[in-house]
Amino acid sequence: MTRLNSNQIIALLLALLAVGYLAMAWQIPTFPLPRPIDSDLFPKVLGFTLLGLAVLLFLEKPKAKDVPEALDPEEQQQPLLLRPWSRVVVTAITLAVYAVLLVPVGFVLTSVGLVYGLAAYYGYRRHWINLATALGVVLALYLTMTRVMGVYLPTGVLPI
Amino acid sequence: MEAFNNLMYGFSIALEPINLFYVFAGVFAGTVIGMLPGLGPISALALMIPLTFGMDPSSGLILMAGVYYGAIFGGSTSSILLNAPGVAGTVATSFDGYPMAKQGQAGKALAIAAYASFIGGTVSIIFLMMVAPLLGRVAVSFGPAEYFSLMVLGLTAVVSLSDKSLVKGLIAAVVGVMISIMGIDLQTGTERFTFGTVHLLDGIEFLVVALGIFALAEVFYMLLKGGGGKEQPRNAIGSLKLSKAEVKEIAAPIGRSSILGFFTGVLPGAGATIGSFLGYSMEKRLAKDGDTFGKGNIKGVAAPESANNAACTGSFVPLLTLGVPGSGSTAVLLGALLVMGVSPGPAMLVDRPDVFWGVVASMYLGNIFLLVLNLPLIPLIAKILDMPRPLLLSLILIFCMIGVYGMSFSVFDLLLLLGFGLLGLGMRLFGFPAAPLILALILGAIMEESMRRALQISGGDWSIFIDKPISMWLLIIAALSLILPLVKPVLKMAKARR
Repeated sequence: MTRLNSNQIIALLLALLAVGYLAMAWQIPTFPLPRPIDSDLFPKVLGFTLLGLAVLLFLEKPKAKDVPEALDPEEQQQPLLLRPWSRVVVTAITLAVYAVLLVPVGFVLTSVGLVYGLAAYYGYRRHWINLATALGVVLALYLTMTRVMGVYLPTGVLPI
Repeated sequence: MEAFNNLMYGFSIALEPINLFYVFAGVFAGTVIGMLPGLGPISALALMIPLTFGMDPSSGLILMAGVYYGAIFGGSTSSILLNAPGVAGTVATSFDGYPMAKQGQAGKALAIAAYASFIGGTVSIIFLMMVAPLLGRVAVSFGPAEYFSLMVLGLTAVVSLSDKSLVKGLIAAVVGVMISIMGIDLQTGTERFTFGTVHLLDGIEFLVVALGIFALAEVFYMLLKGGGGKEQPRNAIGSLKLSKAEVKEIAAPIGRSSILGFFTGVLPGAGATIGSFLGYSMEKRLAKDGDTFGKGNIKGVAAPESANNAACTGSFVPLLTLGVPGSGSTAVLLGALLVMGVSPGPAMLVDRPDVFWGVVASMYLGNIFLLVLNLPLIPLIAKILDMPRPLLLSLILIFCMIGVYGMSFSVFDLLLLLGFGLLGLGMRLFGFPAAPLILALILGAIMEESMRRALQISGGDWSIFIDKPISMWLLIIAALSLILPLVKPVLKMAKARR
């Protein structure tokens, strides 16, 4: 069996998305009063258009710039947690954890932790400068948002 | 005379101390963000939107406009010093700017970029003042059918002019429209694609998508490409002085490219990037020493820099007069205006002249600030390029998170932001352009509304879109913009066979 290229795999995923989208479009309730076009028409047009485009993409040969470039082999030799894709995954997980902890722990603590922790993880070794920058920027943001712009930010465990 | 009086009125707004501060802050922030490799004007604008919450619309737009043209200029600094353009619109500047920097003439290249940007921007504002009211008068006659067709043209033009696959551009645009119509349908009150969650009843905020697809995805991409720890050495700046002969040499290219850049910016889909490449190639063809382009020719810096700043101002014409953005950057600007409660369009010139003329006048001041800021301070500002990359990346992340949370106070939106960041990374890796998605996101809901209103007027008769001449021509141009890129390679092949 011939292997599918990147465009074909993405096309199949998009076709699935389009089918799901169309199924949901068909469930949009009809407006009680008769109208030239109802809420479901535009989504149906979009769903069929995406399906058609997915077919075209399936037939399109990927160009060199459509395929991710090979990653730096030197970087690939690093310990698992420091490899390029690990950096993306760890950052994404950290951001998700940040979102969940923001309200209970508070903006200042979570944000300082995020800036300091990620910069150290990405390889910044001047820890005092890192901490001072994280504290300075986060406090400046916090005070500007809460005191100047009147935007509420969660205080969490800190009494400020 | 009317334009002069209006401009004076605009200056009375732009010269208010708070607005003067916003012009300066916008230009400065734009220059700094635009300078950072990878972060272009769209990221800069998206990152600055949270600052406009609660601002007076004219002040907000003055700030955002400053960020936009500041970012375009800032990109030239990293192009010249690092050969790493912060903005696509300054790629052409690096062709000759970087060789000049390697020859020890970085200061000269930066000075030429500053003068060229100033003249390009200023010439373009004069054209903006003349063209915008005229176009606004024509646009008053536009009904929903014409608006629908105009938005279709805006989308197809952005797709066809991107350097990526046409099919992928169209997919990005369709997905953008799909996201834009999520939530309660305002005409019927029907819920669409909310997945039963209250968080999606109002749809998805465009800032969540813009920051995710551009800024967050850029951070992910830099992490993937080893941007974590590696620093790039930059060239020393040196003297900023230009000789009389050099000024004479660049005068004509700057004048020509400014005019070309403005009209490129007005066209939907074309913008600073195409403007700068057109300016560069035009001067290369016209120059007697065209063979030295790419080796450090000063005209090779002057032409794209004047063209990209002129195009940037030109792109305000469709945004302010028609309410239809012609590019990703102006789409983000439109989003910011909508957040502030202002709907740009032909009526804005009458209903909110303070916003229109205030921003036009602020552009004059902004260009002066850019020149003043960039000539003496550039060696100082360029130090931002020495900022450790790990620290910079983590700071961009926190700006994205606070930007979204400060707007919606929703943890759900933070998780959505993360999702869009990963989607943006995937799009970038597999060659999907992001600008059509963001433009479609802004235009999608308005497009549907125009389509439905047009059909309501016609009693459901679809021929309304071709019965109206302006609408028909706009649709024909939209179709041609999609067909021509497909036909071009076939014609080329046929020509080659002959």
